[in-house]
Amino acid sequence: MSAMALRSLNLPGVGTKYEFETDKGDTVAIFFTKTGGIQMYTLQKGCRTPSAAEMSPVEARRLGNILTGAIIEADQESVEIAFSALADLRITIHTFFIPAAVVGKTIEELQIRAKTGATVIAVCRHDRNIINPPPTFVFEKGDAALVIGESDQIKTFEREIMVN
Amino acid sequence: MESLIVALFVCVVLALITKYFSIPAIPFYILAGVLLGKAGGGLLTNNEVSQFFSEMGLIFLLFFMGLGLKPERIASNRSAVLTSGIIDLNVNMIIGFVAAYMLGFTLTESLIIASAFYISSTAMALTSLIENRKLMLRESDTVIWLMVFEDLVLIIFLALLSAGNQNLIIFFVKIIAVLGILYALAHYGKEFLISILDRDDELPILFTFAAVLTTASFSLYLGVPETMMVIALGVAFATTDPDAFEQHARPFKDVFLVVFFVFFGVTVDFSGGANWFVIGAISLLAVVSKLVSGLLTGIFIHGSALSGLEIWANTIARGEFSIALAVLYGSPVVGTTIAAMVILTSIVGSFMAKYSGILRRGLVSHSRHKALLRRPH
Repeated sequence: MSAMALRSLNLPGVGTKYEFETDKGDTVAIFFTKTGGIQMYTLQKGCRTPSAAEMSPVEARRLGNILTGAIIEADQESVEIAFSALADLRITIHTFFIPAAVVGKTIEELQIRAKTGATVIAVCRHDRNIINPPPTFVFEKGDAALVIGESDQIKTFEREIMVN
Repeated sequence: MESLIVALFVCVVLALITKYFSIPAIPFYILAGVLLGKAGGGLLTNNEVSQFFSEMGLIFLLFFMGLGLKPERIASNRSAVLTSGIIDLNVNMIIGFVAAYMLGFTLTESLIIASAFYISSTAMALTSLIENRKLMLRESDTVIWLMVFEDLVLIIFLALLSAGNQNLIIFFVKIIAVLGILYALAHYGKEFLISILDRDDELPILFTFAAVLTTASFSLYLGVPETMMVIALGVAFATTDPDAFEQHARPFKDVFLVVFFVFFGVTVDFSGGANWFVIGAISLLAVVSKLVSGLLTGIFIHGSALSGLEIWANTIARGEFSIALAVLYGSPVVGTTIAAMVILTSIVGSFMAKYSGILRRGLVSHSRHKALLRRPH
């Protein structure tokens, strides 16, 4: 069996198992259990006891996004879309985690549009999404903001709003 | 009716508590039945309603077992499964039978105790593997397939025990005929069955319930025990869409089976004339005998006694199938003995399964330490 071969196995009463060995000899196993959870085990080469993490389907999907590269940085992601029909318009959508300095301020107060040109189109708060927040919207700790604009505007946003 | 409502209420509370501490609920359901039944002044009494619920619980348990036995799911490592299964069967049946017979049970009683003694709780073993995050251990595969093997042996036990005085050949021909008919129905009616299961109204769940009950009641006409019939139905349905059937039968199984455990506890009488020495000896031996079979399996399959310890930890608990055997074929004394064994082994089992890792590490470091001391200077 080659090192990359992915084995899938039906375990009666337990669920489905996926297992593969990496080129470096570590083993990764994923179990979709009948109880609805997803367990991921990793076994380092030469070790005897694997370490395990149990995830809900949502958490597993998040991990999957990270692994497939859909999320560019560890916790902040960015997608650039090019519209060739509109004079090569390039729009970037970027997520930012709200820093302590911004907590408690409104979108209006921060003068996001005036200073950067970018727009906050959605805020994710406690796994719920607030689409199109009004100018009076107050940021809270733990919020993640989805910002849209041209790539320069996003850079300005990061420099002006996120860092200060 | 009041008994049933009290029982259900107690079970909800027990389920909440046991889930919170992630310990198996089955021994506590039985204990609740024991404490609220004869021993506890008869707050719970068996009546027609509870009897019906209990019977449904048993039928749905066996239907579920049948659903899990997919014919194409034969292990890739057949010889390992066979070896571990045969070790487990022989060691535990022999120890269980000899112990029961020497402690004064009759031949038939000893046989039933030995069967209940042999068969581990599939539900508790699998839950413990998942909850204690042991699925990747190589011993887990052995345990999972051991449970499948035990299920298959249980079907043979049920057939043999319920054959009674009938001509065995005619009896088995009948069972095979029934299985054939159900299999053919599932095969030729596959599209129809799947079209029913795909609907999102009440039909899938209604159909599942009706199919199981009809099959069970048909057994009277055919002279085949209903236990065999519902297992056969499960096996036949497993060829269509077993996941959908499991999903639709689960609510029935979950509720009825809990009632089954509680009212089994109600029939148990620890107070009147229970021989504590016999009960204690069987329960302790039940723990020890799985240690023997576990160690042998570990050495033969994985080449390591430590692996055997892990297999032991996850297979100590006896549960639903032992109780089913007690209810179907056991006398009151046998029932009481099996009840005590289930309670003790499932509690010891859940504890060992949780701490087996620590036990293994402890033993390894201890033996390393000894080896260092013995090294010549």
